[in-house]
Amino acid sequence: MSSMSFTEMQKLVDFDAYAEKVLSREPLLSAQNVEVTFSLRGRMLKAIRGASLDLYEGETLAIVGESGSGKSVFTKLFVGMLDKNGRITGGEIRYNGMDLTQLSEREWLDIRGKRIAMVTQDPMTSLNPLKTIGWQIQESVELHQGLKGKAAREETYRILEAVGIQDPERRYKQYPHEFSGGMRQRVVIAIAVACRPQILICDEPTTALDVTIQAQILDLIRRLQKEQNMTIIYITHDLGVVANVADRVAVMYAGQIIEVGMANEVFFDPWHPYTWALLSALPQLGVKGEKLPAIDGTPPNLFNKIQGDAFAPRNRHALNIDYLEEPPMYEITATHMAKSWLRDPRAPQLEQPDSIARLREQTGLSKGTDPNAYHPHLDPNRQPLIEARDLQVTFGSGRKKFVAVDHVNFTIYKGETFALVGESGSGKTTIGRAIVRINPVTAGEILLNGKRISDRKIPKELDEELIRSCQMIFQDPMASLNERAKVDYIISEGLHNFHLYADDHDRQDKVARALQEVGLLTEFSSRFPHEFSGGQRQRIGIARALIMEPQFIVADEPISALDVSIRAQVLNLLNDLKKSRGLTYMFIAHDLSVVRFISDRIAVIHKGRIVELAEAEELFLHPLHPYTKALLSAVPNPNPYLERTKKLLVYDPGIHDYSVDKPVWTEIIPDHFVYGNERELDGYREDLRRIDEARQ
Amino acid sequence: MVKLAKKSDSKKTVQELEAPVVDLSVDPETIDKDPHHERPMGRAYPNSRRAMPEKQLFEFAEYHAQDAERIGYSNYSYWKSVWQNFLKKKPAVIMSVVFILLFVFTFIASWIGKYDLSMASNMKNIYKAPSAEYWFGTDGNGLDYWSRCWYATRASILLAVIVSASQVTLGVIIGLVWGYVRALDRFFTELYNLIDNIPTIIYMTLIALMVGKSMVTMGFAMVLFGWLATARNVRNLVFMYRDREYNLASRCLGTGLGRVLFRNIFPYLVSVIILRLALAIPGTIAYETTLSYLGLMSIDKPALGLLLSDARAVFPRAQHLLWFPAAIVSVITITFYLVGNAFSDACDPRNHV
Repeated sequence: MSSMSFTEMQKLVDFDAYAEKVLSREPLLSAQNVEVTFSLRGRMLKAIRGASLDLYEGETLAIVGESGSGKSVFTKLFVGMLDKNGRITGGEIRYNGMDLTQLSEREWLDIRGKRIAMVTQDPMTSLNPLKTIGWQIQESVELHQGLKGKAAREETYRILEAVGIQDPERRYKQYPHEFSGGMRQRVVIAIAVACRPQILICDEPTTALDVTIQAQILDLIRRLQKEQNMTIIYITHDLGVVANVADRVAVMYAGQIIEVGMANEVFFDPWHPYTWALLSALPQLGVKGEKLPAIDGTPPNLFNKIQGDAFAPRNRHALNIDYLEEPPMYEITATHMAKSWLRDPRAPQLEQPDSIARLREQTGLSKGTDPNAYHPHLDPNRQPLIEARDLQVTFGSGRKKFVAVDHVNFTIYKGETFALVGESGSGKTTIGRAIVRINPVTAGEILLNGKRISDRKIPKELDEELIRSCQMIFQDPMASLNERAKVDYIISEGLHNFHLYADDHDRQDKVARALQEVGLLTEFSSRFPHEFSGGQRQRIGIARALIMEPQFIVADEPISALDVSIRAQVLNLLNDLKKSRGLTYMFIAHDLSVVRFISDRIAVIHKGRIVELAEAEELFLHPLHPYTKALLSAVPNPNPYLERTKKLLVYDPGIHDYSVDKPVWTEIIPDHFVYGNERELDGYREDLRRIDEARQ
Repeated sequence: MVKLAKKSDSKKTVQELEAPVVDLSVDPETIDKDPHHERPMGRAYPNSRRAMPEKQLFEFAEYHAQDAERIGYSNYSYWKSVWQNFLKKKPAVIMSVVFILLFVFTFIASWIGKYDLSMASNMKNIYKAPSAEYWFGTDGNGLDYWSRCWYATRASILLAVIVSASQVTLGVIIGLVWGYVRALDRFFTELYNLIDNIPTIIYMTLIALMVGKSMVTMGFAMVLFGWLATARNVRNLVFMYRDREYNLASRCLGTGLGRVLFRNIFPYLVSVIILRLALAIPGTIAYETTLSYLGLMSIDKPALGLLLSDARAVFPRAQHLLWFPAAIVSVITITFYLVGNAFSDACDPRNHV
């Protein structure tokens, strides 16, 4: 697939046909210059600043934007669910001859849910934990389809089956807690489509789900759309999801639609510098060993004064006029518009940046093209820093005993980035926390520089050595900073604990240097965390770890909660620090695509067991274990042609027959470990031999 | 890319089809020459740009990475918002002022009164109604009720404040440790059950009989058993914050228990603690009344509870003995009830809009 040329690829999906079909119709819903103002602590703040968007029947439109861009607020207007301190202060939304901005709460009852329905991000909070799944769907069926009793129940079974839930009669009687995350999201979708809405709005429907489940849910929504002839709006920050589902894409920034076009136009011929920046910053497209073209700074929040183009301060291609006047929408093709002064005839002629051109050429995921790439297994002098031997972590006891980590073996060498990849609940975070002694180890051992640190009680000096040499970066930048402490205290917490400063002046000096090192302004030290964006908060968290001058950092999904434009910043920062300070990382992630860019070696973990461990490129090129293959097939690819035609592999743990032939952790070729029994290992060896032959 | 015949209504979102006209004429009066003046976030000299000719406007601007990092500053402070919201609750604010005046008055009252507490009892003068001589009348021993009433008010308020503050402090400290240190959870839970399952009145009676009935002893006894409710409340709240990632971060940094409790968890509980304190004060006064009624408080130094229990015995005959202390107790109770509720509303971040 990777050998395909761009013209060949274009044949995979016929976007021109979509464009013809879609644009030959009247818009189904049309928002014009919508403005929304929130009153917050006595101030009036504009969240939506004149957004215009048309929605055509039968299409899938994706609205892409970062948190705070107003994408959720904007689409909530389509179902009349604006928060109580917000007000529509301008514009109109035409739908079926009505202006949705003027409807009363009574009139909304006929539209919300029946004509326009919504699926939200978190399936747990949108279901009632005290009612059965069946009851919740049936309620919607009875309310909107007018069916009663047995007929409603039959219809409910049919809907459950339609959303891919097996054995609907048994499932009907179950409660939400008996369903997994992906199944719950299916139920939420079932409730939304039960009343056959004309428009379905999906607000980040797969963000809380694992990659393999995510692909299934997207497939489900696509199938339902075809069956029921729905029009779908996706709200997402994930360009992989956009590439997978969208016919048309609208990019939102600071409460405005800044670029809109067919998916192929926005991905391969974008014209707003923000869209350029978003696409170039994707780690999937990065070149290993090089810096990602990150977007500096942080998306504007409501308190920013906005003059001219809101993106100007972060825009390397900004014109003087961008700071002064808001650009109008310029038409590029009949379906493609961009709100950028660069399209003005008076503006300098500018080519799209190289990274966009590269996107067109790049037909697969990023390549390890760095000739100086570090090949850990070729380095005879590598020294182990962290070793885990037969590591086991269990929670609870007796009947409630749960094995989170099951006989895991790995070695992390000095100076490398070791990635641990797995789905939620696979035990990857538990391993990370076991190293920094937050989770106690049940059996096996962990060594730091050859010293055993996994005992329940360890000597005080060893504990101090461990704390000073191993630090952790956390996943959720919102939860990992103490909201009631100033940045100054948060960063110097470690210094206080071991009194690592001469006097207060010295301490403040160190805090200022740490802030600068992570690219923040030193004046931030006197502020509280709530003033900062997710990316800035994450960098404060990194500064807090750095001030201890550690050798080793456990980075627990450090970018998965961040906005797309911010991810690249944090990845670059981690890579820079690795070079300047000689750090070693354990990078925990659920997304293989990110890991390929940043890591030297990758371990894949499934249900508490590491099933495969190899050098990054080796793992991507020659995956052996079926679970690794399934994960790789689900990796989101920011290329609409490839993403829409990709073949998903589904991993079924039932294929392993370990009843007689017991599995072992084996180094199948130097530095490529895999978990399997003799028969499977023979198969894997056969695979490798064939790959070798093909290469010669 | 798609080339379609232009349809007039297919591009409603296009604001202008031709090169849009921007009014670039500038009133020379409005040009700000000072580059440091009124510089909005992240924008270099916007006013000097105003004066640029059109050609220059369409040239690339200088890029400052530092400017991109600047953020809108909401200037929001939690406690400032709490205070502002509290001030909006007029009844609570008025009652607080009334209460403070009342407390200050207890010091002035005995000073302006005609008799003081040390007057000898005069059996000819008992149960006199309020008059110019005895402003609040006299009690069953012929003593001036004005001085006794205000003395009792001061004593009760002081007792209530000291006892409530002590038991809330003790409760918070125990609750924090109870909630955060897993190893001690079992111990404190059993201790709590043990103390909580025996009626407090029985302890109090025992202590009064064994140690003595002085106000200090009884205050001490109240603190000893009064921390239970606060501690349990705090413990349950600590559970909410205990496993937040910022606490894990503190553990990674080797932060000690005391610092974690008081820097990471305590600040989140302050609103609850103040609420508990506000409600504990009328509670203590009510409790003191119960104890007086049972005859467990010392009788030589009056407190409001004692006055009320004495007055109850002779109520139909000498009504003034009940009305005065009852009115004062009502003011105190209502004040703290209103203040407590207003404060807990003000602390809720959802109301900070």
